[in-house]
Amino acid sequence: MKNFQQNLKTLEAADTQVVGVSMDSWFSNKAFADQIGVTFPLLSDWGGKVTREYGIYKDEYQAPRRVNFLIGKDGKIMEEQVDKDAIDPTKIVDACQRPKLKN
Amino acid sequence: MKRKCLGILALGSLLAITAASPTFAQTKKEESGMPKVGDMAPDFTLKYFDGNDRKDVKLSDYRGKKNVVLAFFVFAFTGG
Repeated sequence: MKNFQQNLKTLEAADTQVVGVSMDSWFSNKAFADQIGVTFPLLSDWGGKVTREYGIYKDEYQAPRRVNFLIGKDGKIMEEQVDKDAIDPTKIVDACQRPKLKN
Repeated sequence: MKRKCLGILALGSLLAITAASPTFAQTKKEESGMPKVGDMAPDFTLKYFDGNDRKDVKLSDYRGKKNVVLAFFVFAFTGG
């Protein structure tokens, strides 16, 4: 989450809204956001319905895997980063800056 | 008598297999159920707390306006 915060200005300049999602309560996520200095929304998928719809619920954690999706203005998925690859969001930041996404 | 026992055993194994297979199918689905690049992202409405109110974020509200980064994280207060 901090990595997205660091790139937030670049992402916003490229018409991109960042949201975090976990299965924690909205209350925990607000406290977490404050603690790590995240200013974008951290959404609460309490019960995991959305996590399951995205196919990333992991039984072992009883929680989502770490996955980043970049969704274009047309609602289609443009990029994905999974597990360890999702720690560094450079690929997504670069993709947002591609001119074709600005239309 | 022996035949009856065998029959019950066979029925038992059949039940065990039937009971186990839905679990198996579900695990498979969870592993391969991720939408691919180019697919439509499933729509959702989820809540967050902005410090004063609980607010909704609906993915399809951004359609035609903004790209959206959905960053799933495992647990609050772990990693960053």
